[in-house]
Formats: sequence, C-alpha cells, structure tokens
Amino acid sequence: MSAAATQGSHSLAFRVMRLCKPSFQIANPLRVDPLDLFVGEDIFDDSAAAAQIPRLLQQNHLTKPSESDLTYRHRFELRNPSDAMGLSGLLMLPQSFGAIYLGETFCSYISINNSSSFEVRDITIKAEIQTEKQRILLLDTSKSPVETIRAGGRYDFIVEHDVKELGAHTLVCTALYNDGEGEKKYLPQFFKFIVANPLSVRTKVRAVKENTFLEACIENHTKSNLYMDQVEFEPTQNWSVKVLKADEHHSETNFKNREIFKPAVLIRAGGGTHNYLYQLISSTPGSTQVKIDGSNVLGKLQITWRTNLGEPGRLQTQQILGSPITHKEIELQIVEVPSVIVLERPFLVRINLTNQTDQKMGPFQVCLQGDPSEERAVMINGLQAVVLPQLEASSSTEFILNLIAIRLEVQKIAGIKVLDARDNKIYDTLPDLEIFVDSD
Amino acid sequence: MEVEHESKREDDDRETLTIDPLSNQFANLNDLCFEFTSLQDLAFRGSWRSILDKIARARKLSLLQKPHEDLIYLAYSVLALTKLHRYTEAAEELHSMPDFDSPRYRYESHPEIYPNRCGSMVPFAIRWLNAEIPLKLGRRQESLDRLYVLLDFVRVRLRERESRGSELGFCVDVWRKREAFVVYSIASHHLSNKEFVVCLELIQGLVRQDSANAELLSRLGYVQVQVGDLEGAKSTFGEVERLMKEGNLGENEFRNLVGRNKALIYLIGKDYVSAVREYDECIERDPTDVVAINNKALCLMYLRDLSDSIKVLESALERVPTFALNETIVVNLCSMYELAYVNHSEIKRTLSNWIARVAPDDFDSSSTRV
Repeated sequence: MSAAATQGSHSLAFRVMRLCKPSFQIANPLRVDPLDLFVGEDIFDDSAAAAQIPRLLQQNHLTKPSESDLTYRHRFELRNPSDAMGLSGLLMLPQSFGAIYLGETFCSYISINNSSSFEVRDITIKAEIQTEKQRILLLDTSKSPVETIRAGGRYDFIVEHDVKELGAHTLVCTALYNDGEGEKKYLPQFFKFIVANPLSVRTKVRAVKENTFLEACIENHTKSNLYMDQVEFEPTQNWSVKVLKADEHHSETNFKNREIFKPAVLIRAGGGTHNYLYQLISSTPGSTQVKIDGSNVLGKLQITWRTNLGEPGRLQTQQILGSPITHKEIELQIVEVPSVIVLERPFLVRINLTNQTDQKMGPFQVCLQGDPSEERAVMINGLQAVVLPQLEASSSTEFILNLIAIRLEVQKIAGIKVLDARDNKIYDTLPDLEIFVDSD
Repeated sequence: MEVEHESKREDDDRETLTIDPLSNQFANLNDLCFEFTSLQDLAFRGSWRSILDKIARARKLSLLQKPHEDLIYLAYSVLALTKLHRYTEAAEELHSMPDFDSPRYRYESHPEIYPNRCGSMVPFAIRWLNAEIPLKLGRRQESLDRLYVLLDFVRVRLRERESRGSELGFCVDVWRKREAFVVYSIASHHLSNKEFVVCLELIQGLVRQDSANAELLSRLGYVQVQVGDLEGAKSTFGEVERLMKEGNLGENEFRNLVGRNKALIYLIGKDYVSAVREYDECIERDPTDVVAINNKALCLMYLRDLSDSIKVLESALERVPTFALNETIVVNLCSMYELAYVNHSEIKRTLSNWIARVAPDDFDSSSTRV
C-alpha cells in the first residue's frame, strides 16, 4: 500500500546518504625535501657543504611546525619521507552512491529535515526496502512517534540491510506528520538502486584415478578489487575436503614479519579471476558416489570477500555436482591382486561381479577382448574365457581369474570384459589396473 | 650578516678572494642563493603566484648572477606552475633545459665561480618534477617510465658514493632518501590507480630496507586496510606499536601515530565509540592533528551524530586553519552539509568565500562543489 503523497508543499524532506565505509584519501602531494630544491644535487659530495647546509637550515627553520606556525609549509615541505606517498591517513566520506552487490550490506544515513519555519509534531517515520519479491521493514516509529521536530531541525537515523536479492530495490522512506498548521500530511520518498552480481563461479570436477578434484574459478564482476577473505568448500556428508595450495614462493624467514609480508589474494576489478583447487575424499569407502537420480552432489562453496576498508560481502554457491554416474547394470571390480607379480609366473586375481538390476541376469562370460593387433602384456592363463552362471537381482559373486604377465616392469591389466554368454553383448569392462612385474 | 673572511686555504693563489658561503661559518642562506629566504617565505605561505612574479622580475632584471641560481629559480618556477595546475607552462620551463646532464650544469665548468667544486648543480627536484609532469598532462605511462629511469639514476649515484667510503656519510644518506622518495612517488601513482598489489610489493620492499620506520610501516597498514587485509594490517600496526615501545619514541608525534592506528582498527570493526575515544586522546596531545580531527568527525557521523561531526570540522577550521584547511576536510564537510541541510548552497557558499580569503594559491577550490 503506498498512499498518495499529500499535495502541496511539505515541511519535511528526507535526505539520504549511503554510508558504506569511508576510503583513504590518496593524493599526489607535490611536497619536497628542501635539500632537493635549493642546492645542486651533488653539493653534499663536499663534506664542508654537508656540514654547513643543514646547520643553516636549522637556524632558519623550525624543525617541526608548532601550533603557532601559521603557514602552509606542510603543503610544500615533506615532514617525513614517506609523506611523498600521498597517504596521510585522512579518510573521506563516500562521494557517490556507488555500485551495490549481492552479499553486501546496504547501510544508509537518513535525515528528515524540517525546512519550514514552524514546528512539526507527531511524526511517524517508516523506512523499508521493496524488491520484486518482498518488503523488508527497516524502521517504524508508529508505536512511539517522534514528538516534535523544531523549525530548522532534524531527526536522523541509520538503517542497515543485508542484500540478498538481485535487481531493482527501492528504499521507501515515509513520514506521517502534523505540520505547523495542525494539518496531517503524508510524505513518501523513494530512492532506487540496483543490485548486481559481484562474482561468477565456474567449477570443474575431475576424477584422476581414485581421486576427485574440484577446481573453482572465481571471476570478479565488480568495480573494485576483492580481497578474498575465505573461500571454503563445504562438502556433503559423503565427502571430506582438502585444500590444495601451491607452495609459497616468498620465503620470509623473519617470522615476526610473516603476516606483514604475506601476499594478499586480491582479485582484480572488472574481470579478474582466481582459481582454487580442492581434493575430495570419499568418506564412504567402497561404494563411490551418492546415487541421486544419476546426479552426484559434492557440496557448496562459501565465499567471503572484503573491499574498501574491510567492507565484507558473503555468498554461497548452489550445490556443485560431480560428473553424473551412468547407472551400470552389471559391474566388474577388482577385489584382490597379489602384491608381488613375477614375469611369466601365473598369478590369481579376485574379481567381483555385481548385478545392479532388478532382474535375474546371465549367464555371463568373462574374457580378454580388445584390439587383436595389440600385444597384451598381461594375458589370461589357461582357458581364455570364464563362464559364470546367472545372478539374481541386486546380488553379486566373486570369481578368480588366472593371469600371466609376459613383460617386465609397469604394465596394465586391461581389456577384461564381461559379456552376456548368449548374445555376446558387452556389459562392462574391468577398469585398467597398473601392476609392477618383477623379474625372477 | 656577512663578514669578509679571507680564505686561508693553501691552494689559494687565485687573483680574487672568493667568499665561499659553504665554508664560511657566518654565511646565511641568501648567500647560497639570491633572496632565497624571501622565496622560501612565499613558499611557506603558499603564495605561488607571488613566487612566479618574483622569478619573472629576477629574470627580467637579470638579478641572478650565478648559473646555480638560475637553476634554483627554475626549480621553484616549475614547482609553482605545477602547484597552480599550469602544467603546460611547467613543461615548457623544463624544455628550456633540454639536457640535465649537460656540462653547463656542472660546477667544474665554471671554475671562476665555483673554485674547487665539482659535480652537478641541478637541484634534484627538477629531475623529479620532470618525471611527474607527463602524468599531469595525461601521459601516465611516460611518467612511470621516467620515474623508474630516475630510480636507476639515483641508485647508480648511491652506489658510487657508498663505495667511496665513510667521509661521504651525509651525502650517502641524502641519496638514500632520494631513492626512497622516488619509490614513494611511484607507489603514490600506483595507489591512485588502485594497483594495490604492486603498491604493497613496493612498500614491502622499502620496509625490508628500513624496518624501523614507524611512519612507513603505518602506511603499509593503511594500504592493507584499504584493500581489506585486516589481519595483515593488525599485524603491521602491532609492529609499529612495538617499535615505539622499544625505541622509546615517546614524542607526541609517535604516540599519536600509534593512537590513530588503534582508532583505525576500531573504526574498521565498527566500534566507533572507541575510535572516537582514541582520536580524542590524540587531539588532546596535539591539537593540530588534523587526521585525528577529521577521522573523529567521520566516526561521529557513523554514530548518527551529524551535528557534532559538522561542529568538529568547523571548529578545526576556525581554531587551526592553516592545518585544517585541506581539500579532504572541505569535501567531507560539504558532504555533511548536503546531508544536513535541504538548502545547503548558502552554507557552502559561506565556506567557499572564507576559503577564498584564507587559502593558499594551490588550494583546489572545486572541493566545495559550489
């Protein structure tokens, strides 16, 4: 409900100023050391000059300006050499509304001024944020209205709101008051702003052997550099996470200065990126992934950043998915392999065959298949095919395969497949396994 | 006053007596350079237009008799023009010296004027201004390039003098200061351009060489705060405090530095009340500490006390105008006026008129936004 503003002039008016943190003023000071200005640069090669000149300066100038020094010499002379950096420590109020991003906190100074020449009474003030989806009340004095604002006076308040939605926002400030003539008036004022997305996160999930890695690339879409305070991956129940970082290449042996010299992770404004790498370790050994409709939920990224003077922002990504597992009907897995394998000596490998369907399957045939021209290093010893009987639904069986290695050193057990015994349809291939073949 | 002093040096077989102000214990600054104290006085008052008038007159009436005086006046001229934002003219002045390393500008080329003196008579500030000017004319990269070249130049001179041994102690210090000065200038440009990572690295490099410099370390802290590295900043400020305690830097200057750093940490943590308390202590120790005054005013505003924040700044301008009259304070005060008054033009105009009467020539009057 937004009632119509009372027509005619108002005694009151809202003045609004966004109150994000101030910034350091950075100047190009144009201040010099007098020794660089009024003598030649090489004059101090002469030790007499080196003794004389500072003495002359001392006689003529106060070494430090005191309160009685009514000059602007501090705009001309350097007092401390690092003054030339132009960073005096003076803070400056935000000079414009600026951009506002999802995850930040909107803070504003609101001043309601009585610019008339009469006192205004019984002021009910409300401030709320309106978005497409909702209205959030920030301030409401209806239970205890402000009694009075004198002519030329003000009533101030500060509001804060954590920005959780994108797009158009309106700060609506309303005042219901009795003006100098006792007339009841209603003043709404609207201040619009747009909330944009500060970051985008791209993830890649890679499985390397039994390890799953998550690479997250964060891109900064804001107009300022973002100091990445924390970027944490929160895994789901089935996973635990380890952050992988490159070794620090700045070796600061001076321990007390470690924090001073630690490089900051700062993502450049307007398109800078930074990558993070995590290793995910399955916490349920054996079965590999949570099977949820063929999807594989790994977890979320929690991101906290800071801008200007430590102004914080935080966001969470949506659930990050690993590569979907194809639901296998029949699965072959190696259960046991001997620790020592010797060249040209047969060895036994124990294999598990699982029927993951809801029907009886089989009979099966397990054999070595593949490119006939390729000479395999590890072959089935004896009968080239093992026949296995039918398997009930959702059940498994183990069997032994007799293998022999005909080449030394690192080799692969590869190409072992399980087929349907009748129509030779291939159900599954045993994942390649590396072995080390010793000599006799 | 000057005293005639016969030179008693053994190699003095010149025809004329030369009164070398640098070895004459009764000399004064005006002996070093024509009417130098008057130039200096005008510079202190910020009367840069008057300085230009004085220089023009001296040149017109050929009052400068020695080549080094020409150079010093040139340096002041370029500085004045730059401060008055007359950058093209400043560049033209510098063009009148096409080659800073020309023999013309060396003492030994004028033995009749500078017996027994050798080296360059070019004031170092000229080289530095020459590097800064392109940026003012919109050519930022050229300025950075020149500054890095200047840094090399300084480092070569520094090594030369370091290797010559201990009699040049003061001289070595001067060149070291110049080296730091050029790095600070480079850092300030990176800061203006928000290239904070480069800036941090430059400052960290300086800190490694000069680890007991409390002001420098504090500035490192400010950059860390600006960037959002609050843990790093706390650590740095802790180091400054430790330096003060260990080094017994009891002077108010350092106490205030530490106090302001503490206040900053409170401010970042939104504990404005404690920040104000720290700033009040600083102001009590040193009523001219405008950084404390300004920042305290901002804290009051964040505490919803706009009226008092305005009072603090107005009172500082009244009490200590030569310290408080500074573009940032004026910008802050005007922002507060715009918030506090619906009809703020009048009060800003009053401020603007006062500034016009009191401010130095190089004050940027656009800061009132009137």
